[in-house]
Amino acid sequence: MGEVVILFVMVIALLAIGAPVGVSIGLSSIVFLLIYSDGSLTSVANTLFDAFHGHYTLLAIPFFILAAAFMSTGGVAQRIIRFAVACVGHLPGGLAIAGVFACMLFAALSGSSPATVVAVGSIVIAGMVQVGYPKEFGAGVVCNAGTLGILLPPSIVMVVYASTVDVSVGRMFLAGVIPGLIAGGMLMVAIYAYARWKNMPRGEWAGWREIAKSGADAFWGLMLVVVVLGGIWGGVFTPTEAAAMAAVYAFVVANFIYRDMGPLKARIREGKPAMLTEKTAEADILAMSGGAAVLGGSGPVAGAAPAHADDATRPTSLLRKPQALFTAWFHKDTQEVLYDAGKITITLMFIIANALILKHVLTEEQLPQHVTAAMLSWGLGPVMFLVVVNLILLIGGQFMEPSGLIVIVAPLVFPIAMELGIDPIHLGIIMVVNMEIGMITPPVGLNLFVTSGVANMSMLAVVKAALPWLGVLVIFLIMVTYIPFLSTWLPTMMMGPETVIR
Amino acid sequence: MFYEMGESPSLIGRIERLFIAVVLGLMTIITFVNVIARYVFNSNVLWAVEGTVYLFAWLVLIGAAHCIAITAHLGVDAVINLFGKTGKRIAALIAVSACLAYSILLLIGSWNYWYPFVTDLSFLTTEDVPMLPGFGWLEFMNDGAPYEKLPRFIPYFVLPLSMVLLTIRWSLSAIEIVKGKRDSIIASHEVVEELEDRDAHVDKAAAPAKEAHNG
Repeated sequence: MGEVVILFVMVIALLAIGAPVGVSIGLSSIVFLLIYSDGSLTSVANTLFDAFHGHYTLLAIPFFILAAAFMSTGGVAQRIIRFAVACVGHLPGGLAIAGVFACMLFAALSGSSPATVVAVGSIVIAGMVQVGYPKEFGAGVVCNAGTLGILLPPSIVMVVYASTVDVSVGRMFLAGVIPGLIAGGMLMVAIYAYARWKNMPRGEWAGWREIAKSGADAFWGLMLVVVVLGGIWGGVFTPTEAAAMAAVYAFVVANFIYRDMGPLKARIREGKPAMLTEKTAEADILAMSGGAAVLGGSGPVAGAAPAHADDATRPTSLLRKPQALFTAWFHKDTQEVLYDAGKITITLMFIIANALILKHVLTEEQLPQHVTAAMLSWGLGPVMFLVVVNLILLIGGQFMEPSGLIVIVAPLVFPIAMELGIDPIHLGIIMVVNMEIGMITPPVGLNLFVTSGVANMSMLAVVKAALPWLGVLVIFLIMVTYIPFLSTWLPTMMMGPETVIR
Repeated sequence: MFYEMGESPSLIGRIERLFIAVVLGLMTIITFVNVIARYVFNSNVLWAVEGTVYLFAWLVLIGAAHCIAITAHLGVDAVINLFGKTGKRIAALIAVSACLAYSILLLIGSWNYWYPFVTDLSFLTTEDVPMLPGFGWLEFMNDGAPYEKLPRFIPYFVLPLSMVLLTIRWSLSAIEIVKGKRDSIIASHEVVEELEDRDAHVDKAAAPAKEAHNG
């Protein structure tokens, strides 16, 4: 046991001096194997390769990242926001509530929290400032709501958990739905109350027409959820295949339906990087209409009417440029999105692969068994055990990337949870919610970094801004931890009772 | 951004970018086609799963070397930011030595792992991946008989290859640190920098509005 402490101290020391996370974990594991165990370097190399070769489920990660990249480059985010504003913009604090709503919708398209914050935050925070909300308010709200990205399916962290402890990805995704809706709802209620109290500006009711119109416009993007979740639950695809389908679907929607990228995008946007237009265009629209009814009306995104076929602000019709069916696959925008998604995949998987080496070492040392025995000998009940799990993850989540942390912690606590009769799916959801909170607590909250970027605020200011809303998530964590049926009801109802293999 | 920081990337950088985009694209299309084949044509691309998994390994391991060059690997910089200039440089030197230790140790391991596949076990093939065109000359490895499937040592070659690349890239980083051209090998603010870059453009466009707001 003492050696294992040295192992973790080494990981933390390497992290502190600024070594990459993957190397800190990997090198510590290798050194540990060489000194304290009779493992060989060859077996480490084998484990590293096995991270890819032996974990087919993890293959869903690059595809989900790619789908989200096409979605945010292809202009889905502003359509979702327009729809959200049309629905709830007229309430007190309407734009903030719409921001949460848009985060929830985008979370259902992407599997990561930072991606959600970037996609929604870059538009909504600027819009809120223009309508007269304090910037801190906007940044704090989006920073918190963005964490729903890993709770609402699809979710990369859930894929990692499912693949580490061998539970069904589909079940995990289903289990996230109700908690995700509750968390979003709680944030919205909190904002509503705060806005009533502070007398915040509200937008005008845009009318059912606008809801229908913006809803129809956002429809193609939101259909992605149906492709992924329907496919998995209907047993049509494996989760990996569903993710690949989602990526191809997002590519088609972005290039041929929304045409915000690729060969058919409006000529006026030619030459501008695809990612840039999203913010400039929307910030302008928000500035012009200066209110919360905003994204309604005449965005350049409404679709091509024949009369305007030569208008440079409108995307080209496929009929006028049929060769786009071929060129889109090789278009510079497509390459750019593929490369960006690839880069995120690489940095994430490099950490996960090394975390799998550490997991291999810990399992060889039979650490999970030791920890289980120790914890059970303390007479730990399920309630106290879950408190311990929460504490480990909350502290760990402040220093580590969520997926890597799950790979390391899940095998340690999973056997104990099984021993105590805790549902594996429930445990998974608890871990995900802990990761959410870890992402918005300093020093290494990924969402904080991203928010400070999109809102142009210092880290410290974002931390302060996010703090009040963090309280909502902590209450939510306690609810999820001690009310198991929030997580287990939906998967049990949809997929039948699960079989727990011990 | 595709080409970051205004610099035009070197030939190697461009090849790596293309490699990443193409491999990820191939993985997606192979998986997609397999699903279509199953439901529409009621058949199956036998090697789809295995082939995609090998491509995944190549993408991440080779790509990891590229991410060193563009300083994209995630890390914790909260502590090193507290150090002074010299302290930061010393920390970076220790960190890069750790990285080199990692890649060299794994290079030894990878070589030992790969070596049997290219010598004694060179007859071992993958389960389903067909022989790639252009590799026919490799049959001398199989006692002159042509391979029916892709031999294992080809996909496994990524292990030693990527470790060599990682070692080279980290050595270059180490030299840059010594010369004072670089003060860290991690980018926990990577996303933020990209956004700042993006904001710089936006701010230029929206400068008047912003001034009005600040005033």
